[in-house]
Amino acid sequence: MLLRGLTVLIFFQLLGTGLNALLLPKLPGPIIGLVLLFAYLLITREVSPALDQAAGGLLRYLPVLLLPPAVGVMVHLADIRADLWAISGSLVISLVVSLVFVGWLMQMLINRQNRKKAQQGEQP
Amino acid sequence: MSLPWLAALDAVVSHPLFAVGITLGAFQLAQLLYEKTRLLLLQPLLIATLMLVGTLLVLGIDYQDYRQGSAILTFLLGPATVALAVPLYQNVRRVRAVLMPVLTTLLVGGTLATVLGVGLAWLFGAENMIVMTLAPKSVTSPIAMLVAEEIGGSASLAAVFVMLTGMLGAMFGVELLRLCRIKHPAAMGLTLGMVAHAIGTARALQESEEAGAFAALGMSIMGVVTAVALPLVVAAVS
Repeated sequence: MLLRGLTVLIFFQLLGTGLNALLLPKLPGPIIGLVLLFAYLLITREVSPALDQAAGGLLRYLPVLLLPPAVGVMVHLADIRADLWAISGSLVISLVVSLVFVGWLMQMLINRQNRKKAQQGEQP
Repeated sequence: MSLPWLAALDAVVSHPLFAVGITLGAFQLAQLLYEKTRLLLLQPLLIATLMLVGTLLVLGIDYQDYRQGSAILTFLLGPATVALAVPLYQNVRRVRAVLMPVLTTLLVGGTLATVLGVGLAWLFGAENMIVMTLAPKSVTSPIAMLVAEEIGGSASLAAVFVMLTGMLGAMFGVELLRLCRIKHPAAMGLTLGMVAHAIGTARALQESEEAGAFAALGMSIMGVVTAVALPLVVAAVS
């Protein structure tokens, strides 16, 4: 079961890698694989138990897989120190502004949709 | 009689499985710490990274050697990224009724979050490599790391920025939204997932089931759209 799901994931990753080399050098292979698998799921309208199990297992241990590249931060300590203020400033300001803006926009759009629906309900 | 301690230590450290061993060990230790304390500040990935950097520095191991030794873990990162399509699909199905508001918010808000981060860093005079690394900061780590590398940033720095953004968003996001009278669970959840990815999603789940579902949706669409659009935009601009 797990093996079959893993095979599907690797197949889409390799498909992505092939397309990356062939047509889309700007998009990383795994990302192309992700989009293709998503399209495949939209068409078949079903996540097989094998795929669900393999994806769930891999995603649960995602942090472990990310550790080796993350440890590479030890090579960049000097870069961080050099731009410390620019980094923290842009992180904090853009976070605060986008949090408030995104929340406001979504709430406004939902309320508008609800109002429209209510109006349509009143005039059948 | 003296045992050859140094030779033994050397044999252990230079074993091909040593890098994998300390990585798994550090992660489980960090996970345990997080589960015991439940402090958002103690994100397992962050704490484990610090532990590993410390270990490598103490033992005098080069990052390149560690990277080679742990390659077996990195190999699985590709299929794991592809696997993100599964929760994306499940989340999109779940909230079909409000898909239009969600997509509009994602396009407009996601663009703002990305452009603002990049623009401010550039304005504050950060180096180009740093600016490019900040671009995918709101996105879940595997995607952010891939994309950062693709557009001329650094994957490992991206992991750190992503982590910081997520923690800040999770720590102050809900209070900030409440302060601005944004209380709709869908709006709250979507915002946390979009801006603060997995850590924000965990925080949204503490608020309500509905907020959590929207956070997961926001995180997965934001991730995929950024992954596809950002490299293309950067290539077109430069």
